Amino acid sequence: MKEQFPARMVRIHFGEDDRWHGKPLHEAILAKCMELGIAEAIVFRGIEGYGSGSRIRHSSHWPLTKDAPIQLSIVDTEERIARLIPCLDAMVEEGLVATSTVEVIRYSRTAAKSEE
Amino acid sequence: MLNAGKAMKVSIYLSDGATRHGVPVYSSILDFLFYRGVAGATVSKGVAGFGADHHMHSANMVEISDRLPIKIEFIETREKIDAILGKLEELAGTGLIDMQETIVVKPAQISKPKQAVPPVHLKIEGKAQMMRIYVNEEDRWKDKPLHEALVAAMRANDIAGVTVYRGILGYGAHRRAHKEKPLQAAHHGSIMLSAIDEEEKLRAFLPIVDQMVAEGMVVFSSVDIVKYAYRALELEARS
Repeated sequence: MKEQFPARMVRIHFGEDDRWHGKPLHEAILAKCMELGIAEAIVFRGIEGYGSGSRIRHSSHWPLTKDAPIQLSIVDTEERIARLIPCLDAMVEEGLVATSTVEVIRYSRTAAKSEE
Repeated sequence: MLNAGKAMKVSIYLSDGATRHGVPVYSSILDFLFYRGVAGATVSKGVAGFGADHHMHSANMVEISDRLPIKIEFIETREKIDAILGKLEELAGTGLIDMQETIVVKPAQISKPKQAVPPVHLKIEGKAQMMRIYVNEEDRWKDKPLHEALVAAMRANDIAGVTVYRGILGYGAHRRAHKEKPLQAAHHGSIMLSAIDEEEKLRAFLPIVDQMVAEGMVVFSSVDIVKYAYRALELEARS
């Protein structure tokens, strides 16, 4: 099944060490997205980067220093994204949120699944 | 130069062991044909055979036979063959020469030095589109991982460039959360492909995506291309 609609994309940048109630922030945001029924969310770990506070973040195989840059990319309709933004305000203490207007084509195996 | 149309095909059957002036007969015949300007000739070695002397020649494990049958074949015009036939008979010695009429459908062409093909993308500037495709790492298309197949398809369709990202965490249309597990050799993760090109080219590619992606998402957004440089041009300019 194929649907096509205009949508918003949100990209959130922060560090892998950032936490929300003891949980990694990216996992917390992802859980929030699932709760809000957001269509697509994916977390990327950058190999190098810097952000607010201008400290360079490295991804390293050394387990103790793992403040790698994290980018979360979220896509859904304008309304659903509007519901997510206040949650992000509360959760992201230090980081950057960028939104852009996009056009989406969604493929799903069955019509019923996409209705869920 | 051999042209399309009627010609003669000459086959010469020899035994591998035969030598002339210390070199194998086939090699002196090949040299002769080469310097007489014959259009082309092929020497092939048989795996077994027998000739006028009715000795069976074949290769086996015990003796690596050097007396296997050899066949030289070439195609030329009647006139040219008539001019060289006398000498060929002498060179072939005990071998057999046979000739038949043939029709050249397509003459061989001299391979020309490769001409530089201008790249499809010399320069893209200004407004363009970014296409992001979200799929799962375990999705397959025919016998390949889907993301690899998509990259190959984009390449074949001259899409300017594509990068594949593996997410460390994510979920998609199927509502399953994916998490990267470092100890697991096979990853079951979220994959994003990001391609940038002119809008028409990406839209033209969309039917192929339709057919390849059963479950996933395609996101289009407008971008401005500030710089797109083709490295081969740089190299050319430098040399």
